[in-house]
Amino acid sequence: MKFSPSLFDVNSLNFERQGNLVLKGATFRILPGEYCAIIGPNGGGKTTLIRLLLGLEKPTSGEIKLFGTPQNRFRDWNRIGYVPQRSALVDSTFPATVREVVGMGRYARRGILGFESAEDKAAIAEAMELMGVSDLSDRLIGNLSGGQRQRVMIARALASKPDVLIVDEPNTGVDVESQHRFYELLRTLNRTRKMSILFITHDIGVIAEDISRVLFVNQTLLVSQSPAEMIRCDEMSRLYGVPAHVVCHNH
Amino acid sequence: MMEMLNYPFMQRAFVAGLMIAVLASLSGSFIVLRRYSLLSETLAHVSLVGVSVGLLFGMSPLWMAVLASLVASWMIEYLRSVHGMYSDSVLAIFLSGSLALAIVIVSLAGSFNASLFSYLFGSILSVSVEDLWVMGIFGSLAMGLLLVFFKELYFIAFDEDVARAGGIRVTMLNFMLVSVIAIIIALSIRVVGTLLIGALMVIPAVAAIRFGMGFYPTTLLAIGLALISVVIGLSASYFFSLPSGAAIVLCLLVIFIVALVVNRR
Repeated sequence: MKFSPSLFDVNSLNFERQGNLVLKGATFRILPGEYCAIIGPNGGGKTTLIRLLLGLEKPTSGEIKLFGTPQNRFRDWNRIGYVPQRSALVDSTFPATVREVVGMGRYARRGILGFESAEDKAAIAEAMELMGVSDLSDRLIGNLSGGQRQRVMIARALASKPDVLIVDEPNTGVDVESQHRFYELLRTLNRTRKMSILFITHDIGVIAEDISRVLFVNQTLLVSQSPAEMIRCDEMSRLYGVPAHVVCHNH
Repeated sequence: MMEMLNYPFMQRAFVAGLMIAVLASLSGSFIVLRRYSLLSETLAHVSLVGVSVGLLFGMSPLWMAVLASLVASWMIEYLRSVHGMYSDSVLAIFLSGSLALAIVIVSLAGSFNASLFSYLFGSILSVSVEDLWVMGIFGSLAMGLLLVFFKELYFIAFDEDVARAGGIRVTMLNFMLVSVIAIIIALSIRVVGTLLIGALMVIPAVAAIRFGMGFYPTTLLAIGLALISVVIGLSASYFFSLPSGAAIVLCLLVIFIVALVVNRR
């Protein structure tokens, strides 16, 4: 049997910003094929946790391993696709076509002086096709709607053919129909392509049936192997500190 | 019209001007997109400190400008990226601080105002063969670096965080970009002048962006607009005895206004 290491292996992770504790003692593992939701109140440290995993912030202490490799020695960043918070908010005058933006997802694979290969072109075309933005190829990113931009940013993340997709509250400013398509896409990627998903969201009700694990982040980290239990109303009320009512829905 | 090219000083001015047009507009595209336009203006003022020191102590003003500009670019990037200071605040400090320092040095010396004038506004008469060699060598180096890392710099300009998360060495490339810009600015002061080089970096990119194209055609258009401005500006400088830098920048302004009118949105 082939050994398959954790995608993320985090041990006793602490992070302080200007003397303030943001994250304390976070310890968890994400396994291949998992669909993991990260929930918690605003300012609780969800985005910080993601940024720590991606090496965008340096932990105060603790250890992060990516695909079994300590983060400081990890080089295969193209195995991780990242769609940041508010990624759809793009400068309307930025001179970038949809094709150029999606193509950025291949830059790390191409390396320095690497020209776009047939494989790169095929991966870009496939990502655009999957996200339904092929017909927008030559349009400027700034001229698209919020939902279209969101799909372009996800296509960029998918163009690198990642093993894991990290998405940080991508639905800010996006209409309900686009949100629905987005959730469908995540489900397809996870179930049919076996892509692992790490997803920060406030709307846990809509993906309740899909997720295999929940990380609740509010300075400390609480990991639930049984999402169904964690997203019970009483549990959510206790975690958020306010009365919460969870509605499992599909828009 | 073509008779001006019979004069060696005009030949040198054109060679230098066209080199600078390509370098300034190419690098300028990146700083405009990163809302870092004032960097060129700031480093130009810093290079004036180098020129003043060079003139005061009898050293090469060009080399001293390169040195001053490089050191300042690293300090600016360090304060911005490591200490997290606002870009515009850091640039404002260096801009006014370096200008003050240059003025003090000039006041102390008091005897090289005529020479300094040509560095402030550019002079086609002042480009020597040696200057061309220096521009050629360092310009090629700068151009090479910009082309090798073109796609990475573009990604960083679009989304620095995602570029970093994708494994692109953002910090190293940011330092490289400001270093290249510092060198280009220092090399440009003979032709365009320290007070006007910022325009040659920024205006072509801003005008080209108005045409609403992708990044690659926008960059090519910016280079084309800069080349046109240098050719017209240097010609005007020759025929009407105008400072070359001012003539080039006025051409750029006309082009910008045309781009603005043609592409009203």
